Amino acid sequence: MTLFQARNARLALFAAAAMLGLSACGGAGTGNAPSPAGGKQQANAGANAMQDRSYKSDAEKLFVEKCAMCHRDFGMGTVVLARRVEKGQEWLEKRTDLQADFVKTAARAGIGNMPRITRSDVSDAQLDAIAAYLEKAGRK
Amino acid sequence: MGSAIGAQYVFTTEEDRIAYSDHYSADETSHQPLGAVAPATVEEVQAIIRIANEHKVPLWTISRGKNFGYGGSAPVVKGSIVLDLSRMKKIEVDAENGTVLVEPGVSFFDLFDFIQEHKLPLWLSVPGNSWGSVAGNALDRGVGYTTYGDHAARICGLEVVLPDGDLVRTGMGAMSGSPNWQLYKPGYGPSWDTMFCQSNFGVVTKLGLWLMPEPESVLGFDIDVDKPEDLGWLIDTLAPLRRQGIIQQSPSIGNWLRAAATLTLRDEWVEPGKPLTESVITAIRKKFNIGWWGVAVRWYGPLEINEATSRVVEKAFAGKPVMAMRPTRWVKGDAPEGSPATGVPVTYPLANANWFGGRGGHVSYSPVLPVNGALALDQYRRTSALYAEYGMDYHPSFAIGERHMTNVNQLLFNRDDPDMMKRVDSFMRALVKDATAKRYAEYRTHIDYMDLIADTFDFNNHALRRLNERVKDALDPNGILSPGKSGIWPANRREKRS
Ligand SMILES: Cc1cc2nc3c(=O)[nH]c(=O)nc-3n(C[C@H](O)[C@H](O)[C@H](O)COP(=O)(O)OP(=O)(O)OC[C@H]3O[C@@H](n4cnc5c(N)ncnc54)[C@H](O)[C@@H]3O)c2cc1C
Repeated sequence: MTLFQARNARLALFAAAAMLGLSACGGAGTGNAPSPAGGKQQANAGANAMQDRSYKSDAEKLFVEKCAMCHRDFGMGTVVLARRVEKGQEWLEKRTDLQADFVKTAARAGIGNMPRITRSDVSDAQLDAIAAYLEKAGRK
Repeated sequence: MGSAIGAQYVFTTEEDRIAYSDHYSADETSHQPLGAVAPATVEEVQAIIRIANEHKVPLWTISRGKNFGYGGSAPVVKGSIVLDLSRMKKIEVDAENGTVLVEPGVSFFDLFDFIQEHKLPLWLSVPGNSWGSVAGNALDRGVGYTTYGDHAARICGLEVVLPDGDLVRTGMGAMSGSPNWQLYKPGYGPSWDTMFCQSNFGVVTKLGLWLMPEPESVLGFDIDVDKPEDLGWLIDTLAPLRRQGIIQQSPSIGNWLRAAATLTLRDEWVEPGKPLTESVITAIRKKFNIGWWGVAVRWYGPLEINEATSRVVEKAFAGKPVMAMRPTRWVKGDAPEGSPATGVPVTYPLANANWFGGRGGHVSYSPVLPVNGALALDQYRRTSALYAEYGMDYHPSFAIGERHMTNVNQLLFNRDDPDMMKRVDSFMRALVKDATAKRYAEYRTHIDYMDLIADTFDFNNHALRRLNERVKDALDPNGILSPGKSGIWPANRREKRS
């Protein structure tokens, strides 16, 4: 299993079992057994699926506050981008090809399933800082 | 308005107007606002209200406006000015009592980060889309997945700017300096908190909410069943446990597509436009190992009690034809469980908008039913038949409350498919007609359908509407606040009712 597949499997577990009330990837079905759960205790599906919300600079802090919910681990953007871009590049902070202007346009005009970000939610000055951060982040 | 709050917080460019439109909509212009204003303080909210009254311009209140599936940040009335409270971000936690007082701009992620940073032993209850506002979600009667999942029921005390600019605090907050504002809900005399839910009677500027004290453990089961017909006994098995309070969260039973729509793309399984046959469904289910229906049930508290609960629930399921029933377990000291079951915010479910591969979205159709397996099966049969008739993919869930069930269905669509987008409106109307014939009404609806749903509340020739509108006229004579919300129209716009 590649790292990418492992991550997707984790996403599958998470989405299905924990969030959406469905279980997945267990395979411990016990049919009509008198003890339907089969007594086998497992870790909760979706364990450790929490997002890393840490930051090391003011610009990164802004990114976490305004963007990470969708663009770090388990975010909608990361998940959808993983279907479209080269492996590893679904994380905006790891992208090597991001231009600040592109980031700003994508945020204001929306892109794919990403809605437009209002100027109340992220001010022009904040967006400048985030775009500059993303342009550099993946190229370090 | 610029002089009241600063020109940089008045947003009136074309780009701004589009940004506040409903991006899950076939025609984003149909509810496009004139612009938006974003105050940072209650005084600024009052100043805006005063100006709106002078000029008789309609405002549309949002907290963060991430109300996807119900209209996003867009107003019912095209050309309204969005009153965007997302800059109001104060958080005051009372850790000892397990309460928080939030301003409307505080998102679930903001509150989560605050609690983590201050290492507070409190848990959130979050919706599947946690990008939105703690206050906005509760005010629209949003739901989460823990025992605190009925968010409106956990509201304790509001601060509200009324449509004439007056400022009130509800409950014990009506006594200045009361230490009980977030502790005792009723107050003295009539209590008003629920009056500001799903309404247009005021602008809530602070909302008190109870938070769950971190439990010692969370145990439960993830249960899958194999056939559509298993829905009936599954509900009848869970219902008494829920009614008796053995299960205290609202287990949400979802079909295979609820999971699959976030995990895979439709085009990988079937040609565009072709229906999902039973064999395709079976193949998808097999790949992700999911039941036709699945549900996560959880209990929260001391391990001793939870282990006993697990035994009771397991006994209730003895002999039932489950496909899988997996025990789950988190005990204090374990690594964070990391899902909405333990109050961790997520945006991942929004990926279901990508089900058709392009730009997608949904509107929600959410009737309320009695908790009863036979009624649920009947609902499943009628609703899925309508989905098939309109060429849409059936995406239901049934959340089991103590006395009622909320049947949230997403009408998932592809905005890049004009034919499909044309069907959505008549499909939604057919669904509502079907529910109305059974005398079921919706718990919440999209801005396009607020009048349609209000119309279904028809006792004594729509007496509820008359009451709502008498209150509206008394509080908001100029009709400036969110006209049309929940089908409530002010006197000067009543002819606008659709
Ligand atoms: C994939 C997906 C999954 C979802 N899952 C869930 C879920 O599990 N549970 C759930 O509840 N929702 C869910 N939603 C719906 C929605 O996205 C959330 O409810 C979201 O929290 C609403 O946006 P918001 O919090 O920004 O509220 P807002 O958009 O800010 O507010 C909602 C409405 O409440 C009223 N309002 C808001 N603020 C005020 C105020 N200060 N004063 C007076 N009235 C006010 C307004 O009428 C406003 O339109 C889901 C949506 C999607 C797309």
